[in-house]
Amino acid sequence: MNVYILSVMFSIVFLVMIIELVRRRRLKEQYSLLWILMGFTLLIISVNVQGVERLASFLQIEYAPALLFLFGLLFCFVLILHLTLVITKLSAQVLRLTQEIAIMKGEKASHNEHIH
Amino acid sequence: MLKVLVIIPAYNEESSVPYVIQDIRNHMPSADILVVNDGSRDRTAQVAMEAGAKVLTLPFNVGIGGGMQTGYMYAKKHGYDVAVQMDADGQHAAADLPRLLSKVRDCDLVIGSRFLEKTSYKSSVMRKVGITFFSRLVSLVTRQRFTDTTSGFRAAGAKVIDLYAEYYPMDYPEVESIVYLTRKHCRLMEVKAEMRARETGKSSITPLKSAYYMVKVTLSVLMSAVRYREGKA
Repeated sequence: MNVYILSVMFSIVFLVMIIELVRRRRLKEQYSLLWILMGFTLLIISVNVQGVERLASFLQIEYAPALLFLFGLLFCFVLILHLTLVITKLSAQVLRLTQEIAIMKGEKASHNEHIH
Repeated sequence: MLKVLVIIPAYNEESSVPYVIQDIRNHMPSADILVVNDGSRDRTAQVAMEAGAKVLTLPFNVGIGGGMQTGYMYAKKHGYDVAVQMDADGQHAAADLPRLLSKVRDCDLVIGSRFLEKTSYKSSVMRKVGITFFSRLVSLVTRQRFTDTTSGFRAAGAKVIDLYAEYYPMDYPEVESIVYLTRKHCRLMEVKAEMRARETGKSSITPLKSAYYMVKVTLSVLMSAVRYREGKA
């Protein structure tokens, strides 16, 4: 057992998990694309051991599997940035909703006062 | 006759809010008063209503920026000519309101400043350093002299009400909003205003929060300065 086999196994399990989550509507198709792309990339570079080793020596990395970690790490950064962008947008939308509701409720209360 | 709305953002201010409302009614009986109750857990909403103010209650605390903006959204929706913002803790004196309002025809935003002329206001050294820093920074970025950029005592005309209803800075909005407005070609002006010592409650500012405030607001000011290029509307 070496890191390449482990990462092939992991990629396959991972891809199946993603598809299952989308199927059950637990994950939006829109967001799943990024994960599927990441799963396939991981699978391809895990299968292609020679390619990884060549690329590693080209980049002067002595321990080739470290390249896998590097890819994984960089992907995580991109994904986390993407998530904070989504959160920023969501919090702006939640704020707008909160404000609109407060104004609507206030108007409804004063409207009821006029009737009574 | 200008249609004036006084907006008071309040978070757990049940003890001071009735006095603030009474103070405004004594000096400006024609103005409408709107308390934006920002998810308070005390009786702020009830006491404000009993004192004769209109109350909007946010279902949870959204912070000073989100609360203020709710007030400006309301002012826009109901066609007010002028919206005045005032703190709920009683530090701003309603006696200064006529002076702010007398200038709001000449420009888009009037800021009540503690430092334009000598007033009785006293502050700690650290606070003074912060206030001076932001006044210098904003004066530099806007090329207009400001003495009290952190003041939350302001009168906004219709143009500013519209702009604030669309975009209002969050967290610590006072300083950044000045830069935002100058970049949107609004005319801003300071007038002298007294600031009283706090009557009740405690300031929520701690040393750590102050440091975070300084860094965050500086970044916001610089971002506002580059986001809206000068010379473009």
